[in-house]
Amino acid sequence: MSIQGLTPTPVSLQQYQTMTEAHDLEQFRLQLRGWLEANCPPSQRKAVVQSEQIWGGRQRQFPSDDARAWFEACRDRGFTAPDWPAEYGGAGLSDDEARVLKKEMKQLGCRPPLYDQGLWMLGPALLVYGTEEQKREHLTAIARGEIRWAQGYSEPGAGSDLASLKTRAEDDGDCFVVNGTKIWTTKADEADWIFCLVRTNVQVPKQQGISFLLIDMESDGVSTSPIPLISGESEFCQTFFDNVRVPKKNLVGELDGGWAVAKELLKHERKMMATVGEMTEKPNLSLVDLARQCVGVEESGALGSSALRDRMARHLMREQAIERLAERIFLQGKAGQSDARLPLLMKYLGTSEIQTKDELVLELLGVEGLSMEDLSISESNRKMVKQWAFDKALTIAGGTSEIQLNIIAKRALGMPSVDEKS
Amino acid sequence: MILTEEQQLFHDAMTNFFSAHASIDALRRLREESPTTGFDREVWADLVELGLSGIVVPEEHGGLNFGWLGLGAIAGASGRHLAPTPLFSHVVLAQEMLLNCGSTEQIAKHLPVLLSGEEVWTVAIDGDRYFHGGDDSVVEVSNTLSGRKVLVPEGATADRILLPVRRSDGRLGVFVLSAQAEGVHIKATRMMDGRQYANITIEKLDGSAGEWLEGSSLERGWELTLNRAMVILAAEMVGSARELLERTVRFLSEREQFGVKLATFQALQHRCAKLYCEMELAESAVLAVLSAIDQRASEIAAQASLAKAMANDCLTLISSEAVQLHGGMGVTDEMDIGLFLKRSRVANQLLGTSEWHRERFAGLAGF
Repeated sequence: MSIQGLTPTPVSLQQYQTMTEAHDLEQFRLQLRGWLEANCPPSQRKAVVQSEQIWGGRQRQFPSDDARAWFEACRDRGFTAPDWPAEYGGAGLSDDEARVLKKEMKQLGCRPPLYDQGLWMLGPALLVYGTEEQKREHLTAIARGEIRWAQGYSEPGAGSDLASLKTRAEDDGDCFVVNGTKIWTTKADEADWIFCLVRTNVQVPKQQGISFLLIDMESDGVSTSPIPLISGESEFCQTFFDNVRVPKKNLVGELDGGWAVAKELLKHERKMMATVGEMTEKPNLSLVDLARQCVGVEESGALGSSALRDRMARHLMREQAIERLAERIFLQGKAGQSDARLPLLMKYLGTSEIQTKDELVLELLGVEGLSMEDLSISESNRKMVKQWAFDKALTIAGGTSEIQLNIIAKRALGMPSVDEKS
Repeated sequence: MILTEEQQLFHDAMTNFFSAHASIDALRRLREESPTTGFDREVWADLVELGLSGIVVPEEHGGLNFGWLGLGAIAGASGRHLAPTPLFSHVVLAQEMLLNCGSTEQIAKHLPVLLSGEEVWTVAIDGDRYFHGGDDSVVEVSNTLSGRKVLVPEGATADRILLPVRRSDGRLGVFVLSAQAEGVHIKATRMMDGRQYANITIEKLDGSAGEWLEGSSLERGWELTLNRAMVILAAEMVGSARELLERTVRFLSEREQFGVKLATFQALQHRCAKLYCEMELAESAVLAVLSAIDQRASEIAAQASLAKAMANDCLTLISSEAVQLHGGMGVTDEMDIGLFLKRSRVANQLLGTSEWHRERFAGLAGF
């Protein structure tokens, strides 16, 4: 090192502020680490298992005492919804602080303290569009894990063309009367409330006659039945509304202005789906270890099949590049230089890559990857097969990949949409 | 991963310079008028004047210490214009090799000459049909050097060529080769990207008469230099990809068939959207490793391979698709698209194909 390097250089105000900020954040990180170590029981620091996920709601049942303790500790500090304001049950963390928390939790392997669609999707939209009363009533109940939410968007006749939905909500004094059906209502059979898009006006173009309603599923006339899926599970349900009376105070946003709320919410849904891998149960083995076990390794440590090795590297590299893209989006936002085009790519890229991985896993398993029922196959292998089947929904739910590509072409590349053809 | 205001300003200034003085038209002129030189000396002198040669060199060595993110942005601008300059050979390969493999005295002696642009240096990397990282194509046997090098960028115009040699004791050596030395045969070749390279044959060159780089860890310096060069090349390639995709979307938005703009067809929209995804993924991989270099990350090999492989794949795909989507015009020499296509295939082979990088990545990841 040169002598110049040892001379203290004057620090500008901006540098000083950045340093102070970094110092504060480091203090915060240290505090957090201490808190997490004291409050997150060792059993809650193991890779998450589906049967041990902590879901909220009226029928809430904790998978274990440790899970309850971890949930309650987080709830009391607002860490179930770290970036929501404290008056609505959150912790009021800044973006930077929330990121530090996420990183520290990842570092220690802490499981998410609460799973809920209200937490991931409805909450962020209510923060933007909810009335003060709605925020107080619903956000707090979500953050405290007291109410579990389902989403009522798609209908049998309205999938990608969501705006053509037909479930009607008719004005009847201080209530709306709702009739119709919603499909792909994830876990609606276990939910307490459902947020729905309903038609309140048939005289105007389809997007302009939609409203956003919050409906208590204990209301008379609401019924739900699960739909068996190719994975053998039935995560998705169909929910029916037969003359259901919904108080008008449960309208979010303007009457006929539900499309704006839906779009806000969809942003969060897509963000959530792009990172769904972090929250779901992981196989006991990493992809690399699974491959080692299934196809064997050579003396050099290289996988037995060079073709497979190349495909694995291709997938793992893309997975890393997607992480870098997410990091770039975050850093741009922090620097106030967001490129609005980039977030549009995440859902398409993230979900496609999960499926690439699933296909690799299935091939690696060979004959053990061909049954979900054969009990002579280990449970962990059968789980991977089920996951492969279940993940086929990822590129469909929350806006299909084809819709995502339409959006990218239109909004990122400025290519005209189909109805502007002439 | 975010450029500072100064880096952004410098990038903008360089973009303006490239478009005025080192654009695709300049490449075409070079191709037609002076088939023996790969770049314009006057343009190069202006670039040095602007500070390009010292951009990542530490201040104590007389450079600007402007950061690798800044250099990456300039490489991207150069890729957009297919600017024929010794940026890659001289600024990245040769200067970095000197800094990473030279002794303090050698750096003090040679670097000012390189920074001033007085001499142009390059590095001879490949001796084989394919790049494979380390290279034993020139060997030392009792003080004489023999072997062959191919695809040396600016190899026929450079004043000095840094030459990796397998020494008689088995270690790596880096020889400072002078084009005029006895036993050196340099043959200029023009590759399809319109730039000039050289094939170099060395026959019984007296190794004891010349200079060897004497830094303390040559193997590490050699690898570090190549890793950094891969990243800058990847940044250049992503710049080309961005330019190509913009040109292609613009073309589709103007061209009419069946009474409508081609850009209204969903089949074409989805293809372009996918290309855009690939490009931003590659760019993200490049920006991440540039930031890692700036933050003095100790190990960048896996990230450098990630960046180069993503850049290779994205530019190969985008350049082929750009030709196809331009229709008949895409295969004419009049359109610039073909120049990008050809450059992409050369850049793809320089410092490793995607297969090579995936192989290395897998090895580093332990499978």
